This record gives sequence, structure tokens and C-alpha cells, in this order.
Amino acid sequence: MSVIPLRQVNTFHKDPKFGRLLLVSLVIHGLVWAAFIGDWFGSSSRPKPPVYYVDLIHKPVLNPQAGRPDPRPSKKQQAAPVKKSVATPVAPKAVTKPEVKPLVKPVKTAKPKPVPKPDQRQEKKVQSAIDEIRQRQAREAERDALKDKLAKLRESVGAAATVPADVPVGMPDGTGDEVGVSALAFVQAFIQQNWALSPYLLDQSRIANIEAKAILAYSSAGKLVRYRIDTPSGNSQFDDSLKKAIIKSQQLPQPLPKDLELVVIFNLKEMAATRR
Amino acid sequence: MLLRCLIAVFLCLALPCTVLAATQIEISSPGEQTIPLGLTKLLPDQGPRSARIADEFDEVLGADLDLSGLFRFIDPQSFLDDAGRIGLFSTQVNFPQWRLLGAETLIKGTYHLDGDNLVVEGRLFDVVNRRLLTGRRYVGQVKDVRRMAHAFADLVLKELTGEEGPFSSRIAYISNQTGDKELWLMDVDGKRPLRLTNHRSIVLNPDFSPHGKEILFTSYRANNPDLYRKEIYTGKEAKFSYQPGLNTAGRMSPNQREVALTLSKDGNPEIYLISTSGRIRKRITDNWGIDSDPTWSPDGGKIAFVSNRQGNPHVFIADVFTGKKTRLTTRGKYNATPAWSPKGDRIVFSRQENGRFDIYTIKSDGTDERRLTFGPGNSEHPRWSPDGRFIVYSRDKDGNRAVYVMRADGTGSRRLTSLESDCRHPAWSPRW
Repeated sequence: MSVIPLRQVNTFHKDPKFGRLLLVSLVIHGLVWAAFIGDWFGSSSRPKPPVYYVDLIHKPVLNPQAGRPDPRPSKKQQAAPVKKSVATPVAPKAVTKPEVKPLVKPVKTAKPKPVPKPDQRQEKKVQSAIDEIRQRQAREAERDALKDKLAKLRESVGAAATVPADVPVGMPDGTGDEVGVSALAFVQAFIQQNWALSPYLLDQSRIANIEAKAILAYSSAGKLVRYRIDTPSGNSQFDDSLKKAIIKSQQLPQPLPKDLELVVIFNLKEMAATRR
Repeated sequence: MLLRCLIAVFLCLALPCTVLAATQIEISSPGEQTIPLGLTKLLPDQGPRSARIADEFDEVLGADLDLSGLFRFIDPQSFLDDAGRIGLFSTQVNFPQWRLLGAETLIKGTYHLDGDNLVVEGRLFDVVNRRLLTGRRYVGQVKDVRRMAHAFADLVLKELTGEEGPFSSRIAYISNQTGDKELWLMDVDGKRPLRLTNHRSIVLNPDFSPHGKEILFTSYRANNPDLYRKEIYTGKEAKFSYQPGLNTAGRMSPNQREVALTLSKDGNPEIYLISTSGRIRKRITDNWGIDSDPTWSPDGGKIAFVSNRQGNPHVFIADVFTGKKTRLTTRGKYNATPAWSPKGDRIVFSRQENGRFDIYTIKSDGTDERRLTFGPGNSEHPRWSPDGRFIVYSRDKDGNRAVYVMRADGTGSRRLTSLESDCRHPAWSPRW
């Protein structure tokens, strides 16, 4: 006579303990997850060891990899320089030199012949034209010789460059195909460069503890879209200097790979360490 | 239902992990530890032009701001046309031009001559935010142009740091320029020296009263080292303490009711407190050793002094009310002439090591001792500026002793007096 609960009718959950076990399992998983992400031992509040990364090399430059032998086209390099080395050095020398002599000599030999003097002006004109041609040809020859040298140099550099195409360069998190250092390091260095603050503006005893947090959002074009001083330091001189640094950094000198939202922590730990 | 709730909780716990992983960077030092400043020369707004006024104002202001250590001056050679234009209002200044030069702050000004009267207007601009920070008009005579520049330098420091500069104050010192050791007064940059005494004897160890109107000093005028007080403006002078023996190193308390000094009336030099009328009120030290050179803490509750009670001369601190003494310095063979900073956190003193005196500072709890001077010569008699930013001291080099000034961290040292006469025992006045 008693009504059978719907749960018991369900064919999928035949065993009434199954649901409970599932719940217990989920709860345990949840707790394990919470324990994993939770800051149970106050590890985040522990003071960081005073180790500072001093970036001496990767200062923001527009194209820091300029001049670096491009490792990627190394496969093509073998074919391309051969063509140049065959075509360029031979062609100019063979063509230019014989051209110079026949042009010059007939004119020179014609010089003593003319008897009538009224044509002297014309003669001068011709002479100057010849000189001009000679100079031009000499310049062209010089240029061709330089081209030859350059082609040879390229060839030798291409052979010497044994850098694999995908080697990371610039920064530890660089990928090798970026123009410049890692975007994050670039932005960090750029903001730091624009941050001017004299230690004499602040109470010397507070330098080590002062800190502020700002949130900055850059578009991929390198433009500062918005910013906010999230946690001010409480020192007006310090906070003012941060605002100025951010305003000065509102346009990066080069675009970013993608839109970037940053949490920037400004402090004077490094300065305090050097003034100790 | 419960299952869905748990899944939701699970998701809520998991999601923040991805959100919290936002990009974070830390900048632990500014790229530049000075403020780039464009300092333009004064321009005549009307009336006759005087290059001397503009040059003198520029020189004094530039020297003061340079001593502060706050600024990096933009090279005037790189100035563009806005430097030659009058700009007393932010709308009149071409800020992008100054941004181009890298300036963050800008000083512009004008002067107006009317006979012997001079009106100078100075302005400080924030180039990045394109706004006027501060400005002031000074009215005086042509000879006051240095004072105007010092006053404007004080104003600039006040605007940028929140605390006024000490450049309008003055420095007293002892010099034998006239053949005798007399008391002199000069500007903070060493200019406009003025002789205050004519004792034709030995004057030593001056100190200003906290309001700056009087100077206490010791003189052998009456063949005994007696303590005198002198009103600076009226020139009135009076013998103040003339106990038998030493009456030296008189230092007025911050509340100006008592004077701490060294008396040796009983044979052994001890620290006493006397009233402003010269009557002895309290004996601070009572020890077989020599106790001298007292200096008050800014709150008036403690006195630091030098004593050899534990062997070599060291700096000790005495509580004025309880009489309890604690030793401050532990190193060095000879520690002397302590001076408590106006902020109360540090004490500056001189110490002899390797046969040479150098300037040191130490926290008033005896920690964080720092040496400030190096190199040849003896550096002695250090005293703080009224804002605690600078230290004035005397230094001898090759037998010539002169007064020097440096920043409180020991940088930016510069000589104030000439090497031709012996100058020592400087004392920095309060703000006037």
C-alpha cells in the first residue's frame, strides 16, 4: 500500500547508497581542491626573500633583435646566396670594364685631329660629357665590387650561423620568433624607466616598507586603455610619482602581441637595499 | 538538487584559480632617482632688463635645489623657445615641449625693476599633469635677490616634499678672519658673512635658541670660559653663566626654559641645567669622569652627552626626569660632539679612528650606525639643519679648516667658507 518513492523506481540509481556515495566523493574532492588552493599556512603572507632580479640587458629598445642573424630562413639561405654569388660578382666586372675603354679611346684620339678652331666649345662639351660618363662608370664598378663583398660576407655569415630556428632568445620565456624581449618584461622595463622618484622625497625609515598596487590595461596597439591605483601607499609623493610614471607610459613604443591587463606592484625594496 | 549545489560550489572554488592568475609584475626601484627639472632664468615682465638679477637668482636657486639632491637639471642648452617666453600661468606654458626634453617639473619666473625696488615672481609647474603646483611673489630691494631665491627654494621643497627647506635659515660659526676667534653668521650657501662679536679673545661653541633670535656661545673675554647670550637683531649681549671653571657648550631646551651646559665649578666637568637667568636648577651627571657636549632630544625629555666614565669618551643618553643613563656608542676610541636630529630619530657625532675624526650617525636606540665622511682630514662639530635634511660640519685639510655642508646621508658635500681663515664650530639656525 505504501507509495514507492520515485527515486527507487529510477533504473539508473538502483542502489540507494550510490547517490550518497557520489555526494561524499564530490564533497571530498571539493575539500581536497579547497585545501590545495587555500592559503592554510599563511604562505602568501610570508615575506619574500630579498632577492631582486636586476635586468641589465633587456632594457626596452624598439627592436632588440635587429642585427641578429635570422635563424629561420636558414633552409632557404643555402639556395639564395648561391644565386647571388654566381650572378652578381661576375656580371658587373665583365660588362663594365670593356665598356669603358671603347667609349673613351675614340674620343681621345679624335682630339688632335680637328683643324678648325670655332668648334672648341663643342669639343669641351663633349669632353665633359665623356668625363661624366667615365666617373659614372667608375662609381658603378665600385658599387658592384661592394655588392660582391657583401654577398660573400652574407654567404660566410649564413654558413657560420648555427643557431637553430626555434631557440629561445631574449628572455627565459621568449619564443624565438618575437620581435624584441617578452612583452611583459618590455612593459615592466618601460614603466620603470618612466618612473622618477627621489629617495629624498620620502621618510628614509619608510622606504623599505612603502608599496602601492596599480592595475593597467594596454591594448594590443600598445596604448594604455585604462588604469587605476588599486592600493595606494598612503604617501602622496610616492603615489604622485606612480601616476606620473603611468601617464608617461600611456603609449608604448611598440605594439604588444595581444591586449594586456597588468597588476603592477610598485615598491622601493631594491632602492632600500642599495641605500642600506 | 543537492548534487547541483555541490557542483556549483565546486565550480566556485575552481574558477577563482584561473581569475587570480592575472599577470602581475613588481617594480622595486624607480628608473630615475631624481626629478627631472627645467629651471629657466627669470625674464623681465616690464621695465628695464637686468641680467645680473636673473643670473644671481638662477645661481642661488640652482645651488639650493642641487644641494637638496631631489633634482636632475635639464641642460639649459637643450631648452626650446618656451624657455624664452614668460609663463606664469599653466595656459601660457608649452608643456609638450618640456615633456619632449624629459622634464617632469618646471620653474619659470619674472622680475620687475622699479628703481631700487624689485618684484620677483616664481612658479613651479608639474609638466606631466600640466598644472601649476605653487608660486609666490616677492617684493623687496635689489640686494634681496639672494634671499628671494632662497625663499623660493624653500617653497619648492615644501610643495614637493611636504616640508619646507632650510635655505632661508643661517649658519653661525667661529672664524679667525680678523685675527681673533670671533662669532660670525652666514647664509646657508656660505655667502653674506657677518661678524657678530668683537671680543678680541677666544669665542667658541655657538648654538641658537629654538626660536632663532638668540645665540649662546662661550667666550674667554673675561679670562674665563663664560657663557654668553646675544640677541641677533638688536646686538644686545650678556654674560649668562660665569661659574668658576668651564661654562661651555650651552644648549637651550626645546621649550626655552632651561639651558644644558658643562660646568666644572667643582673641579670635574659635569652636565647641569640652568635657568634662563643663569641660576643652577639641576645637576644631570655626577660621575668621576668628564661629562660634556650636551644636546637635547626634540621632545626635551633626554640629553645626549659625551663621557669617559667607562674608559674612552663615548656618547651617553640621560633621561632628564629619571636621571637614568644609557650608553649609546660602543665603537671607536674617541666619540665627541653629538647632536640630536630635529626629527629625533638619529644622533650625529664625530669619532676618531686611525688618528682621524669622521662624522657618523646612529639611531637614538643605538642601532644602525652609519659613517658619513671619508677621505683625508678631520671632520668634526656636526650639526643638523632645522629640517634634518642636511648636516653642517667643519673639516680640516692640509691645515686649513673650513665649514662644509652635506646631505644627511653623507652625499653632496660642499665647502661653504674659504680656506684662507680657520672656520669651525658651525651651528644651524632654526627657520627664520
